[in-house]
Amino acid sequence: MNGAAILSTQGLSKTFGGFVANRNVSVDFPRGKLTAIIGPNGAGKSTFFNMISGGLKPSSGEILFEGNSVVGVMQHHFAKIGISKSFQITNLFRDLTVLENVRVAVQAIHCRFDLWSPRNRHHEWVDKAEELLRLVGLQARLRDRADRLAHGEQRSLEIAVALASDPKLLLLDEPTAGMSPEETRTIMDLIVKLLEHRTIGLVEHKMKLVMGVSDNIIVLHHGELLAQGTPDEIRSNDEVRRVYLGKARH
Amino acid sequence: MDISLTLIAQQLVAGVSLGSIYVLVGVGLSLIFGLLTIVNFAHGALFMVGAYVGTYVFLKTGNFWLCLVAVPLATGFIGLVAERLLIRPLYGRGPDYPLLLTFGLAYVLMDVVRMLFGVQGERFDTPEALQGAVDIGVGMFPLYRLVLIAFTAALMLALWLFIEKTRFGLIIRAGARDAQVLRVLGIDVSRVWLAIFGLGSALAGLAGLLAAPMRGVSPEMGIPVLVEAFVITVVGGMGSLGGAIAAGLLLGIVVSMTTLFQPEMAELSMFALMALTLIVKPQGLFGRKGLLS
Amino acid sequence: MSGQRSAFFRTGADWAARHRAAATTLVLALFPLIFPFHTLAINILLFGLFAAGYNLTFGYTGKLSFGHAAFFGGGAYGCGILIANYDVHWALAIAGGILLGGLIALVIGLLATRTRGIYFAMITLALAQCVYFVFFHAASLTGGDNGLRGVNVVRVELGPLQINLLNPLAKYYFMLGLVGVAVWALARILRSPFGAVLEAVRENEGRARACGVNIEATRLLSLVISGMVCALAGALNAINLSTVAIDSLSYQTSGLAMMLTLLGGMGTFFGPFVGSAVFLGIEHIVTGYTERWQLIVGIVFIVLVLFFPKGIWGTILQRYAK
Repeated sequence: MNGAAILSTQGLSKTFGGFVANRNVSVDFPRGKLTAIIGPNGAGKSTFFNMISGGLKPSSGEILFEGNSVVGVMQHHFAKIGISKSFQITNLFRDLTVLENVRVAVQAIHCRFDLWSPRNRHHEWVDKAEELLRLVGLQARLRDRADRLAHGEQRSLEIAVALASDPKLLLLDEPTAGMSPEETRTIMDLIVKLLEHRTIGLVEHKMKLVMGVSDNIIVLHHGELLAQGTPDEIRSNDEVRRVYLGKARH
Repeated sequence: MDISLTLIAQQLVAGVSLGSIYVLVGVGLSLIFGLLTIVNFAHGALFMVGAYVGTYVFLKTGNFWLCLVAVPLATGFIGLVAERLLIRPLYGRGPDYPLLLTFGLAYVLMDVVRMLFGVQGERFDTPEALQGAVDIGVGMFPLYRLVLIAFTAALMLALWLFIEKTRFGLIIRAGARDAQVLRVLGIDVSRVWLAIFGLGSALAGLAGLLAAPMRGVSPEMGIPVLVEAFVITVVGGMGSLGGAIAAGLLLGIVVSMTTLFQPEMAELSMFALMALTLIVKPQGLFGRKGLLS
Repeated sequence: MSGQRSAFFRTGADWAARHRAAATTLVLALFPLIFPFHTLAINILLFGLFAAGYNLTFGYTGKLSFGHAAFFGGGAYGCGILIANYDVHWALAIAGGILLGGLIALVIGLLATRTRGIYFAMITLALAQCVYFVFFHAASLTGGDNGLRGVNVVRVELGPLQINLLNPLAKYYFMLGLVGVAVWALARILRSPFGAVLEAVRENEGRARACGVNIEATRLLSLVISGMVCALAGALNAINLSTVAIDSLSYQTSGLAMMLTLLGGMGTFFGPFVGSAVFLGIEHIVTGYTERWQLIVGIVFIVLVLFFPKGIWGTILQRYAK
């Protein structure tokens, strides 16, 4: 446990019926750093991510965000607390425009139940949405419907929507999935840039990427913590090499 | 009020016989929901059609046992045709459409029955062999209702065996968890669903036939049944066979006991039970939490 | 079509799209001038409002409810009882009806919105039947099976203006005034930030939740608003017929709201009124010939669901968008 960690888990576990997805995972996300979570398929990365972003209730264990427990907190509070996650499988408001996708996410943080004022009169939300879309490179697609976008653009929109709540901890679940090498490079540059203002958690399969940009790496295997440390420490960890790095490099 | 234990015991048995009808209705709906995720709004209408088919067959043949075979076949057949022609085109469009369609289907079935049999209801006399009463230790009790309890119990046992012990039953159980599983195994999911819809419809019709001697028949008799089936499914848990049986019996007993103490509140007690379930355990007695998400 | 004419059309259509409430009210105001059956026109108006309220829940929030008769009937009885039994002023009685409808929606909502998906339809049906049962048995207050009589409002005084409700055309415009207010409020709500949240929740509930939207509270609020609009329609209907039938709480009435919305085009603003006009118009004609009206309703339902899920107005809008 670490005073400099924005989020810590202690003994976090999740069981589905008879299947143990995560067992006793205790890890830290150092503030202001990029922590990557790696592990073979089925290692429990997405389940873990879901738990710390409020999408799943842990079976046991503790999650501390800025010193406070967030276990049992309702999912819709997480965005307001400062934790936001982008989805592994693109999960957008398909029939709404690109702009509206982000605008409504910005709005959700800033107002509770406003039934009366015309929504577009709140320029600040539109401006913020446009700013975020510029950041991810979608400024030319504002009026297009989300489901008309190319796959790579949709992944970028995913990130913009996750950013709308101005999170202190941004969790990205395989943001570059299905992207070409140039698109991947653009996204990784964006992630490094975003790191200037927040802590980032990243689930990724592409090892080279992960090793290059991360400050901290968590390795999961069969739902349990295998190792945690800097890229160098992980690279030289025998167990990790055997289980994961020993396999074909991505 | 002087309420003897005898009276309570009698009401309990009455509750179980009432519950038997509820069980048959609830199981049919629950099966269809559990696998197809369709709430069949024509379920009450099929109940009613079963009662009318039974009335017609009994009129023509005087043979109640023949009715027991003919009715589920008839309503099961209607269910098969409905699923194939009307509901199948809607798969993939979202859960609301089959619901709306079966709602319209219920209207159609009711008016067709009115056209064939008239708008007035009629009586359905208990078949001679099952008339009379029997001493069950706490008093005289109608033979028909005892037979009803026994028959339902036997049918549920047969259904349970079918689901637990046969290959098709295994498919049903696997499919209730996840339709994808079936596809991956190469099983024709659409055929399974067709069969289930037919089975659920058959059970509904059978329930209608068995209820007829107790309630009479009328084109509107299915309307309260639909609500009762929903209450049972909510209380028992969607897609849970054991839940439907437990909830059906529970409901029958609750309604029966309420009739003893406060007859006007009998119907309300059903809703109270549902409201209580929604507050305390929204997924139902035997329901799985995941079904609500 | 000449360039000038199509440009005119397009400007008109754009204006209508941006001022949905005004356009709808305008069409409804002109309606009785071209449609000579004024009594039927009032029914179309009131049931159009009923459907518009239902549309908020079904078309805009995306939840299929089978219990909206409880709100409509609640509003009708609320208003009717106050007028018939307690001689309350019509404006207060209507307000009372709206409040009662909203209250019923709140209770049903608290029980039903904690669940998701298909459950909602089943629970709303059962709870609405419960409301039916309660009103049926409170016969001293509601008249029970015989319905409530004596909801007599013959003359309405609005300052210097005196409106004679025995004249169907006058009654129509009086009610249109209130319907217009409700339509305007609905348009306002749909254009507000809350309206945006409703769209987002309908599109992708999971994502909305992850973005910080309290889904249950949103649904509950939407249902209460919907309930109040339907209650207004019910209250006006009580005044219109001078009676309230126990049938207004039945599931057939819920089915009617569904039908009108589906027929007209769910999720469209003007659709409910289109559905009301077409349905009630056809009913008026067909019931002159046959008693088998439910058969026709059922078949229309099935055909709509299978082939025209967008409804009449919805299909027209879709063509226009191209």
